Amino acid sequence: MILLENLHKTFKAKGGPVHAVKGVGFEARDGEITGLLGPNGAGKTTTLRMLYTLMSPDQGRIEVDGIDVARDPPAVRRRLGVLPDARGIYKRLTARENVEYFGRLHGLDDATIAARIDRLAEALNMRDFLDRRTEGFSQGQRTKTAIARALVHDPKNVILDEPTNGLDVMTTRGLRGFLRDLRSQGRCVIFSSHIMQEVAALCDRIVVIAYGEVRAVGTPDELREQTGLADLEDVFVRLADLEGAEA
Amino acid sequence: MKTVWIVARKELVDMFRDRRTMLISLLMGPLLVPVMLLGIGSMVESRMRTQMESTLELPVIGTEHAPNLVAFLEERNIRTVPGPDDPDATVRQQEADVILRISPEFGDQWRESRPARVELIHDSSRQDSQIPVSRLMTVLAEYSGSVGMLRGISRGVSPEAGFAVQVARRDVATPESRRAMALAFLPYLLVFFSFLGGAHLAMDATAGERERQSLEPLLATPARRAAIMSGKILGACLFGAMSLVLMLVAFKLSFQFAPGSLRMINVSTPVMAMLLVVLLPMVLIGTSLLTLISASVKSMKEAQGYMTVLMLVPMVPTMVLMLNPVKDALWQFAVPFLAQSQMIMKLVRGEVVSPLEWTVYMGAGLGAGLLLWFLASRMYLREKLAVSA
Repeated sequence: MILLENLHKTFKAKGGPVHAVKGVGFEARDGEITGLLGPNGAGKTTTLRMLYTLMSPDQGRIEVDGIDVARDPPAVRRRLGVLPDARGIYKRLTARENVEYFGRLHGLDDATIAARIDRLAEALNMRDFLDRRTEGFSQGQRTKTAIARALVHDPKNVILDEPTNGLDVMTTRGLRGFLRDLRSQGRCVIFSSHIMQEVAALCDRIVVIAYGEVRAVGTPDELREQTGLADLEDVFVRLADLEGAEA
Repeated sequence: MKTVWIVARKELVDMFRDRRTMLISLLMGPLLVPVMLLGIGSMVESRMRTQMESTLELPVIGTEHAPNLVAFLEERNIRTVPGPDDPDATVRQQEADVILRISPEFGDQWRESRPARVELIHDSSRQDSQIPVSRLMTVLAEYSGSVGMLRGISRGVSPEAGFAVQVARRDVATPESRRAMALAFLPYLLVFFSFLGGAHLAMDATAGERERQSLEPLLATPARRAAIMSGKILGACLFGAMSLVLMLVAFKLSFQFAPGSLRMINVSTPVMAMLLVVLLPMVLIGTSLLTLISASVKSMKEAQGYMTVLMLVPMVPTMVLMLNPVKDALWQFAVPFLAQSQMIMKLVRGEVVSPLEWTVYMGAGLGAGLLLWFLASRMYLREKLAVSA
């Protein structure tokens, strides 16, 4: 269960301050996949970074399972499995060693780590490259390794920042199945993307973000109804107010 | 604490798998330094020996004015050759170390028992000419003295009346300290390698990791940032210490098998162990400083830009001491780089370091390292660090 309330974040930049996030707030429930949908530069990544305590908001409040993020960041990080926008893995370690390293940093013992890796490798279908050094991995293999690394501590809440970026059709399908499994296990999954179809295929609820603000929240059907449009892409373009940007 | 060790171990594994980089950072120094030390050292020695003992070839202008003096020089293993027309230019062009000019009045002045004039032309800024000049000066003084004495005797004056002061020299240089003179650059090399031995790992673990985009997920784990950073510093320190140990071993072996008197340098195991202790604070200072720099710059490239300056830093005290030697004082043991130079010189010269000096030294060295560590950990807490460009 994740709760965000009225988040604001401003960055200093050369051409004056950039107000990247302006009052974003939504709720992500357990046993649901919440999609964060928005064009590039809408403030998705910044919002998620505040959620996983990498940045502190200028204003606003975040709660994870009832714990205030500002009060106890390590406890919050323990409850989150994070696949950040930056997902570099160590290329001189094997995929297994990459995951083990993070497991140890989470304070897990070796037996638990081995069991978790076993389960994740099965679920993510990464058996044949698990013990290879990650140098030369394909994008899909790298992403799977990064996801396994993010989930090794069996977190209740899972945050994935554009997980399907650069993946082919079959890998994306496999990943969708994996996320549905996470949902059926009762976890709270937040998933960000800039592709409407992607979000619609998977999410129970969609939060549309544009220009640092929440534009709409609802199920795909609710959003269709709200705009009176049938095509999901049109719905997204209308809600995110992108028609002006297109021209 | 556990986190620190987990991170340090991962960094070392990562480093050791990068075979080529590892070999360069770990073995280059230990292989190169002995060659340099021994090469330069034996060059200096053999040069000194040939200059002291071989026949000195001396260009002399106006040989005909003082045949006695020339004969005396020949007796003292100095062979005269006809001098050039323009002695100043010849010396300046380094074609001769020293030239003797005997003035045409020499004969007349000699016969009238007045001080007869000779002139030495040399370049005092050239190290190389020091030995020939002093050799010639000594021989001339000897000649002047013995002739003066004979003149006194012929006039019925006691020869001793001519010497108001008798100077006796006593050189207190121990064999070790004389060797150490030839090894003036030794502290620089040792300080340099301990200061920057872990540099590559330290920079790669922070600036490199950020560039490869793996710092953000790392900082999203529950591990405390200060602990993660300390682990990286510890890893770099262990690597630096390893390279330092290899260096000292190489150093010990090469001096044991060195030719001639270089073998006299004290490379006994206790001295080597003390050198290791002396240099460990330097390893901490170097890796903490580089971690601090890496955490505050935008890219690996920018961090590497600082390396050029850092390479020069250990040279400063050596240069200052060369130009302006200062007496041993306690404060020197508290100044980073200068302190290391002093301690290394004291140890290889076989001098005793007092407990007070040890305390001040270790206190100041570790203190500086911890201060840098603290500053680096402040840098690690910045929001900007995690967000890759």
